[in-house]
Amino acid sequence: MKKLDAFLLILLIIFSFFALFPIYWTVITALKVNSEIFTIPPVFFPTKITFSNFYTPGTTFGEVSQTAFGSFPWLINSTIIALASSLIGTFVIGAPAAYALTRYLKNVWFARLILFMMMIPEAAFIIPFYVIITKLNMINTWWGLILVYISFTAPLSTWLLMGFFSDIPKSVEEAASIDGLSAFSTFYKIALPMVIPGIMVSIILNFINAWNEFIYALVLTYTPFPTGAQTVPLYLTDFIVIEKSFAWGGLAAAGVIVMLPSIILGIYAQKYLVKGWTMGAVKE
Amino acid sequence: MDNGGSEGIMSEVIVENVTKKFGNFVALDNVNLTIKPKEFFVLLGPSGSGKTTLLRLIAGLEDITEGSIYIGGKKVNDVPPKDRNVAMVFQNYALYPHFNVFDNIALTLKVRGYSKDAIKSRVSEIAKILHIEDILNKKPRELSGGQQQRVALARALVREPSVFLLDEPLSNLDAKLRVEARSFLRSLQKEVGVTTVFVTHDQSEAMALATTIAVLDKGIIKQVGDPYELYTKPKDIFTAGFIGSPAMNMIPGKLVKDGSSWRFVSEDFSVQLINTEFENEYDVILGIRPEHITLVKDDGINAKINNVEPMGAVTYLDIQVGSVELTVQYTGLIKLEAGMEIKVKFVEEKMLFYDRKTEKLLNV
Repeated sequence: MKKLDAFLLILLIIFSFFALFPIYWTVITALKVNSEIFTIPPVFFPTKITFSNFYTPGTTFGEVSQTAFGSFPWLINSTIIALASSLIGTFVIGAPAAYALTRYLKNVWFARLILFMMMIPEAAFIIPFYVIITKLNMINTWWGLILVYISFTAPLSTWLLMGFFSDIPKSVEEAASIDGLSAFSTFYKIALPMVIPGIMVSIILNFINAWNEFIYALVLTYTPFPTGAQTVPLYLTDFIVIEKSFAWGGLAAAGVIVMLPSIILGIYAQKYLVKGWTMGAVKE
Repeated sequence: MDNGGSEGIMSEVIVENVTKKFGNFVALDNVNLTIKPKEFFVLLGPSGSGKTTLLRLIAGLEDITEGSIYIGGKKVNDVPPKDRNVAMVFQNYALYPHFNVFDNIALTLKVRGYSKDAIKSRVSEIAKILHIEDILNKKPRELSGGQQQRVALARALVREPSVFLLDEPLSNLDAKLRVEARSFLRSLQKEVGVTTVFVTHDQSEAMALATTIAVLDKGIIKQVGDPYELYTKPKDIFTAGFIGSPAMNMIPGKLVKDGSSWRFVSEDFSVQLINTEFENEYDVILGIRPEHITLVKDDGINAKINNVEPMGAVTYLDIQVGSVELTVQYTGLIKLEAGMEIKVKFVEEKMLFYDRKTEKLLNV
């Protein structure tokens, strides 16, 4: 046992390193002065800390006129689009669909079909989606991107929540129906609160997926808030203008800003991601 | 008291020619029962006998394949559970984990449109009866098993249902708590006076609680009767073997006419019957309860003691008579040891004879 524990610990340290190092690197790069960003060998522990990357245009090579703080109009779009597609995918489609599938349809193949759909690369649908969104007059609008993002947040939520719903003891819902609740009330007063950990996972994954999405945002939007729906990943790419400018300091600073909402959401949701959420419902 | 326009608590439950199939499996086969108002009715049977299925049919949690169920004179085949005004306690309690105890009990009243004040007074009234006033603010996960069971009872009783359904509600409690809960449940039911259907596989629980017991086996009702009737005159071998602990002794043999009287002849011994008459000679199984075998000095059947189990108030003896082993219950303590030779006698009026072909009782 002791040997196994030590082995697991080493593994965890290695994995944590892989997960955390890029974040560390982004943060320190955002705080470095330009001279330390380009030093070889690289500087792992900056000697001087500056916040200037956040508000001065990056001018490493050539000219990049934008600043990290200038991402605000793009952040507004991203926040609205990611929240809407995450919440609609989870509550309006995912949870009801998952509940209906586990309680009433009980068809394994339907569940598998959802899984297969998620395996198709998102980019495969770019042309049809472009045509559809154009026809709907939704190019460069919030709803254009939200509708497209729901097409991948909803299946993920459905598939994820099916597992959580099928773990609910059936007798709890039967008790609700005997207590006089309708099928719909049973769903949202009894079943839904019992899968809150799943709902939280679904909201976070959906949010991160939509927040980081790039290809559709590139194709379907072209101006920032307030005139258009361009999202923040597109703003990040403007820090790199091929063969002209590489504003690494500004890019890293903007990267830090873009990471923050996902991290805050993750920390907030942590308290719901606990074991034993439904403990005490039934006596095993 | 306002009970939300229900039919009240005096409901009769009639189960008429009910068959329930799961695919090809017949869980209940043409069951007929009448459960009278205010009765404490126990469905007793081993696991897989269909007793829980029958309870769930009455609750409306399963669809009836054939036949009808009436509650309070109304056919309820197509009435959903929420409109049957039945209350149910589940074997695993099935509490709402995200509600505190008060809300667990109050939910059904809220759904039925009771006023806030009415809910408060109703819940505190039932909480008092069940001694759970102190835990109304706790979540189910903070409760002990006994408390969870009381909350489940409270939730079921709070709105004065037409029928109170209990699915092995005591099986998750430890032995001491179970006996306590048993007598508590019995007096509670008397006090509330609601028609109660109780499912259990524990025959002693059934005997202790029931005004009427229905014995089920493999989806068939074997016998319906009060505990006294079921214990003294079980109508078939299954019921005879299922009711009573230790179980009834079963001895295969023959009924033979011997001059003017009858005689029970087994491989190893025979017994002269003085007061019992039969129509024909039968291959039978003799059923005799452990307390109806007595020890005698002479003029008895020879037996050897295999094992002695002194319980205090009674002593159980496992004795060997030829090829069959019998259990004898002796009232009080007796100094006997394994290996000793004794003589025993059967109390004739307590001997039950079952036809070996039909497995039915032959005594009238």
